[in-house]
Amino acid sequence: MAATTTTGTADEGTGMRRIGLFRTVSAGPAFWWLVLPAFLFFLVFFVVPTVSLFALAFNKSAAGVISLSSAVTFDNFLRIFTRSIYYESILRSIGIAGAVSFICLVFGYPLAYVIAKTTNPGRNTLLMILVLSSMQLDMVIRLYGLMVLLGDNGLINAMLLRFGIISAALPLMYNVFGVIVGLVQITLPFMILSLIGVIKSIHPSLEEAARSLGASRAKAFFSVVLPLSMPGVLAGTLLVFALAISSYVVPALMGGWKVMVMPIHIYQQVAETGRWQFGAAIAVVLFLTSLMAIAVYHRAAMRTTGGRS
Amino acid sequence: MSDIHLKNLVKSYGENIAVAGIDLHIRQGEFFSLLGPSGCGKSTTLRMIAGFIRPTVGQILIGSDDVTRLPPEKRDIGIVFQNYAIFPHMNVADNIAFGLKLRKKSHEDIDRAVAFALRQVGLVGYENRYQRQLSGGEQQRVALARVLVTEPRILLLDEPLSALDKALREEMKYWIKDLQKSLGITTVYVTHDQDEALTMSDRVGVMQKARVEQVGTPQEIYERPKTLFVTTFIGQSNVIDVTVRGRQGERLSVDFGDSTVLTRAPVAEVSVGSAAKLVIRPENVIIGAAGAGLSATVVSETYQGALVRYRLSVAGQEIVAERQNQAHLARFSPGEVVGVSWDPDRSEALVA
Ligand SMILES: Nc1ncnc2c1ncn2[C@@H]1O[C@H](COP(=O)(O)OP(=O)(O)O)[C@@H](O)[C@H]1O
Ligand SMILES: [Mg+2]
Repeated sequence: MAATTTTGTADEGTGMRRIGLFRTVSAGPAFWWLVLPAFLFFLVFFVVPTVSLFALAFNKSAAGVISLSSAVTFDNFLRIFTRSIYYESILRSIGIAGAVSFICLVFGYPLAYVIAKTTNPGRNTLLMILVLSSMQLDMVIRLYGLMVLLGDNGLINAMLLRFGIISAALPLMYNVFGVIVGLVQITLPFMILSLIGVIKSIHPSLEEAARSLGASRAKAFFSVVLPLSMPGVLAGTLLVFALAISSYVVPALMGGWKVMVMPIHIYQQVAETGRWQFGAAIAVVLFLTSLMAIAVYHRAAMRTTGGRS
Repeated sequence: MSDIHLKNLVKSYGENIAVAGIDLHIRQGEFFSLLGPSGCGKSTTLRMIAGFIRPTVGQILIGSDDVTRLPPEKRDIGIVFQNYAIFPHMNVADNIAFGLKLRKKSHEDIDRAVAFALRQVGLVGYENRYQRQLSGGEQQRVALARVLVTEPRILLLDEPLSALDKALREEMKYWIKDLQKSLGITTVYVTHDQDEALTMSDRVGVMQKARVEQVGTPQEIYERPKTLFVTTFIGQSNVIDVTVRGRQGERLSVDFGDSTVLTRAPVAEVSVGSAAKLVIRPENVIIGAAGAGLSATVVSETYQGALVRYRLSVAGQEIVAERQNQAHLARFSPGEVVGVSWDPDRSEALVA
């Protein structure tokens, strides 16, 4: 919890003094040598290529050309915001990522709560393995598994048809539903892991104090545990949102090229038509959209929790 | 306000028995301490009274209500935790108002009660502070205020002073005691600190290994310990091996080395010739000139300011004696032969 409301004065009785907003960690020179390898890697293999790609977005679109030129144009961005096929995909991406974040929160919170509260070490390990095991398999393999379940001839449809509950296969895949199911499956562990730590850090006596003061189990949860776990809720939803909005593989496999989200457009522009510049422009918009959505959400969340995170 | 009955209260965790059958009556308005070493089952007992732990066997009555199966929020209790459990996302006023809001009190009533409680615990002006802006002692007061505004039938405290430094602990000890007295609220106080238990309590229940060994006033517990554990856990005692010679009414005569001494007799039957422990507090051992009482040799003398402490060798066993450091009392040096005696009513015979 950041000491954002404390002033520079010493709190009487506590003997504590906080100066300004941040407490700085002084790191010796040796410390910088230790972070240098990671810093260089990050610079060479992330910052440089990403900036180069983003720079390409400001060049005129030309198939097969990937060299940077100094002639700056905003044509690519104009095209994105004037053609419905593109600007609608921005909204679709935000909508799907938002829905996935919400679903992960609703599904993940109870499980994270149970894992955090389980004192039995054996049961705790078992539950953690359950959560982490889904992350052991490659994403593509897991999605193929989902396709076996959700396809027109998949397990669910076959079962429903056999028992005569439906007369034609339900469209469970190659649509927004399939993409959302796939994304939830991929991102849920991240949500759960974000929540467990925070819920664990809430001392059980706080919940018990609420109970002893007259709060039912539910009331104690909503008035004490949930507000105190907001940092985890915030971290988890932001992480899931960022993973979901930038995912290419899931919409590609589960959407079958019918659910056009931004990463699909980027892939098509770059890999199929060779228009790197236009693909790069969509990537820039995706990046900024994601940042903006996160900023707006963060502000709203901070307001509802009284500026405490 | 109510009394509390614990009837054959048991809590077991598989093989592990945390509380092994406790029967207690805690009277209306009394300050009752559960005293015992760490792990003896004090907190488990308290948390069963609070409703956080469901007893394996047994019954809990608050007043005439059987609360054994009631959840904590239906028991009308107040509990103060070792870490105070101040809600960190609420300021002091909201913390104190928490229980009142749940009781659907009006805004005016809540404001009035919070203001009164803050005055009661001496924290006027702290309304808008958060937990991280409060010292341990202040958190303690907020925790008490938060509990007391709801006017619970009983007050439960689990080692509330153990997180404070020594000076503050001394101060809070008397403050809590005075507050409890002025409110007249039935209180169960859990501690491993004999000093807290003796100073604050009307009665003390000494616990060991999941059981209550003895219940009594602080004076009874200190002066008439019923078991060897109680006598060694509370204060210091000389524990001397003796052989029972015979009972004479309220007294028991025992053989100690070559001498026969008198002591208070235990309630239980003792057979002649059996081994027993003679228990004497160091402050009750009287040292005099050689020839007065048992013959003893001074092993060491330790000056402790208000007290002088002697280690004595008597018939091959060591006895510690303490006496006031007063000008008219003679001092003894190591090697000196002295006489040792005690008032038989100030010593106990315990059958091991
Ligand atoms: N949830 C639990 N599971 C298993 N054993 C427990 C549990 N809670 C307490 N115990 C055991 O019960 C005994 C009593 O614990 P406790 O009441 O906390 O002791 P105290 O408060 O006197 O220090 C201890 O031996 C402890 O290890
Ligand atoms: Mg305890």
